[in-house]
Amino acid sequence: MFRAVTTVDAALRALDELGPGAQVIAGGTDVMIQRMTGSLSKSEPLVHIGRISEMRGVSLGSESITIGALSTHRDIRTDPILAAHLPSFVQASSTVGGWQTQEVGTIGGNVCNASPAADLGAPLLMAQATLVLVSSGGERRLQAADFFLGRRQTALEFGELLTAIEVPIPAPGSWETYIKIGRRSAMEVAIVGLAARFVVDGAVSAARLAFCSVAPRPMRVPDAEVSLVGTMLEDEAIAAAGRLCASAVSPIDDQRATASYRTSVVPRLVRQAAEACRSELV
Amino acid sequence: MQLEFTLNGMVRRLDVEPDETLLDVVRERLGLTGTKEGCDEGECGACTVLIDDRPVDSCIYPALAVEGLAVRTVEALSAPDGALSHLQRAFVDRAAVQCGFCTPGLLMTLTALLESNQNPSSSEVDDAIAGNICRCTGYSAIREAVRRAVEEVSA
Repeated sequence: MFRAVTTVDAALRALDELGPGAQVIAGGTDVMIQRMTGSLSKSEPLVHIGRISEMRGVSLGSESITIGALSTHRDIRTDPILAAHLPSFVQASSTVGGWQTQEVGTIGGNVCNASPAADLGAPLLMAQATLVLVSSGGERRLQAADFFLGRRQTALEFGELLTAIEVPIPAPGSWETYIKIGRRSAMEVAIVGLAARFVVDGAVSAARLAFCSVAPRPMRVPDAEVSLVGTMLEDEAIAAAGRLCASAVSPIDDQRATASYRTSVVPRLVRQAAEACRSELV
Repeated sequence: MQLEFTLNGMVRRLDVEPDETLLDVVRERLGLTGTKEGCDEGECGACTVLIDDRPVDSCIYPALAVEGLAVRTVEALSAPDGALSHLQRAFVDRAAVQCGFCTPGLLMTLTALLESNQNPSSSEVDDAIAGNICRCTGYSAIREAVRRAVEEVSA
């Protein structure tokens, strides 16, 4: 069964009616492949939410930016609000697949699919985003850190729909980036990805470092973040933070890279991000 | 389930299954075999078609999601009398085709690019076709063909 809905209410009714096996599909770039390869069952019904217009688009509030869950990677990479306030989101969406994938793949799909390598997981965690989960019983809000539970596991419950992602507007003096290592520069699943933010007021007053593809779920490294506070991102401070990150991650060997390669890349990404920030702000 | 959409300017109605892809419908049901199946997992771009002018990998796109939309395939690029588009002509003239399997997908992606940006920079061209894999040409002739098509249109 393929149930196409155009409103959130209709989607929630369909999910309640079809029961826990129902699969939500938006752009389909993960769901279709998983149904073809058997990691999702083809006998379960599909609820197509791709045309719920109220769930698409970016808006700027007084304290936060709301990103509709159906905003495509193309929407995100071309959005002026995100370019001005949350460039790491723009950079992350720009590295998801090629144009064809970015045109239909959504931020909500990327997040709910919860691949350990999901590019948007790192900036969501770094930016302390809140996920808005709606069901026929009401609405609840979860921090990104509480949403990702493990490899392809989230806190989303049956009958719930991720409708929006709310991201606090960064403090003045913030600088952020998303850097990704793949085998080539396009069309790659991340071997390691890093979303980094430094708040600089003379010295670093706050730092956030969130990685993808080095653990079952995206992860921050609080020790390394704290170690950078009060520094001017000197070489030795960057190296120390990099070492803390390398010892915190728990990557695996897979077809894209070995765990030891991933671990060796982690401090280099920290250095690349911190040096880029230093050259602009410090 | 019933599907109605526009394919290359013609309204088409047919019954399709929930897991049928747009590629299956275009090639197997409607007999337009210009669109190619390469990787069948949204990585290579050989199956690229335009849905409401946007390039999409049809091999992993559910056919039922194009209800009411306009799909264009490589068959729509030439004029009714068979005259090639500027881009197609440039591909021929610059020998941007070797085995040819990726060519329909590249033509569709680049058609979408040139419709939205009449004078793309070389990095914009490279970014646009990052999702179209060509294992023969090394891309140089493809880039030259795009440049020639741009020059012809603006001449």
